[in-house]
Amino acid sequence: MEDIFKHIQPVEYYKSFLKENIRPDTRTLQQIRKTTLNVGPITTADGSALVKIGNTMVMCGVKAELTQPTAEEPKKGIIVPNLDLPALCSSKFKPGPPNTQAQVGTKFLDNLIKIANLVNSEDLCIVPDKLVWVLYCDVTCLNYDGCVIDAAVVALVAALRSVSLPSVTLNEETDTPVTNINEKTPLTINCLPVASSFSFFESEHIITDPTLSEEDITSGCLTVVSDEHENLLLVDRPGGVSITEDQLEICIQRSFKRTKEVHKLYKAVHKPSESNDQT
Amino acid sequence: FELISDEGYRFDGRKPSELRRVRCNMGVFTQADGSAYIEQGNTKVLAAIYGPHEASNNMRSRVCLDKCFINCEFSQAMFSSAERKKRSRGDRKGKDMSAHIKQTFEAAVRTQLYPRSQIDIYLQVLHSDGSLYCACVNAATLALIDAGIAMKDYVCACSASLTKETSLIDINHVEELAGCAEFSAAIMPKLDQIIYSELNGRIHQDELGQLVDAVTNGCKDIFAVIDRFEVITDNTEIAVSPRSLHS
Repeated sequence: MEDIFKHIQPVEYYKSFLKENIRPDTRTLQQIRKTTLNVGPITTADGSALVKIGNTMVMCGVKAELTQPTAEEPKKGIIVPNLDLPALCSSKFKPGPPNTQAQVGTKFLDNLIKIANLVNSEDLCIVPDKLVWVLYCDVTCLNYDGCVIDAAVVALVAALRSVSLPSVTLNEETDTPVTNINEKTPLTINCLPVASSFSFFESEHIITDPTLSEEDITSGCLTVVSDEHENLLLVDRPGGVSITEDQLEICIQRSFKRTKEVHKLYKAVHKPSESNDQT
Repeated sequence: FELISDEGYRFDGRKPSELRRVRCNMGVFTQADGSAYIEQGNTKVLAAIYGPHEASNNMRSRVCLDKCFINCEFSQAMFSSAERKKRSRGDRKGKDMSAHIKQTFEAAVRTQLYPRSQIDIYLQVLHSDGSLYCACVNAATLALIDAGIAMKDYVCACSASLTKETSLIDINHVEELAGCAEFSAAIMPKLDQIIYSELNGRIHQDELGQLVDAVTNGCKDIFAVIDRFEVITDNTEIAVSPRSLHS
């Protein structure tokens, strides 16, 4: 009976829970799902991470390649993020070329890398104007249950943090790169951003970390990205119902709190001895 | 270099007729109707099943009135192989693989039970280390079982290669690169039927029998692993099995 009600009247169903200040998955409105981070599951990638936020599951693999830099920025390496939302992850998506949501997500990650200055692009330069590293960061969603961008950011940062690049020199005579696999230096990450998403239900309820069914019935969402020093990096609000300044302030405060929690995860996995942790 | 040492062991220390370690899990996703994860050595594959459901808009033309049609999409993560892939799906190899897997399961699923509907099989390779087709078929079998879709039998697949008159089963990436003939087959182990087989490379006619035997044994070993896994996790299945009803 309850199941039928849920499918026929999803909004009414949700409201009956909100009256009691609880959500259908027994969380309170502020509560965030359990986040799990696993670093290095894929050995063919130069860096990789698997992130779970509740049922949402995202994997990021970083592949490093050598390339010629662009003419405008001869001393800068290149980072290319890509978010993939395959048909495998949800019945919402159909097979075919990348959908709008995947492209918006890719652009979001690209902006974040630039704004947060995640990696000094000069660090990726080997020989100016001739040889630089290009890091392909492929983020694949395996199970879509809301807040994919939050999981994607954690996966991207954790995967980039696990990258070690071999030392490369350019042979002047033959103009070919020579790689020394034995000498590897870890990539320096300047900043550890964390994204937190919120949904707004009837413009008065702020729902933290919405699931897919919550994303579907709510009107408009907000994503806040902040770093460990309580700096705001990105605030993304792609339309929807209007919100007040106070609500924005609440969301920002909650995102700072979440950033601190996820930082414990980042710290825990960065010790070489441990590779798994949970909050 | 030699694929098999003088002592009779392979590159990764296996005997010629030994499988790599198989680990599997069912019901790994909540969004899909059925899902499974399989690891055969370093080859790691995820499978998700959606359906049977009404045909989606762009596939209306494929609807059959007396049976369901199977839509298969094979996708390989860009970071799954040593060399980064340019496209994760839709390239020639992916299309080829999708078509083969689709045909394999058209032979095994009882499609006439689901008229006018569609079943989606989505496969995602996370880590590729040889025998991709086989790992995909095994993962899809488990996912179809998880989705509760009627099949004639399990479908188990295994690959083999031939070197120095010895057949090596479940070949990994290094052995694939060596350029020997490669034979893969999918069988229904209880019905003893071969539903798919593919041979790449040159062998003598007399050697084919040996390869088929090796692959069949490999498939049966895989069946033993995934079938045992089934019994361990699915308690309800034991409770309602015909044997326990009669005893």
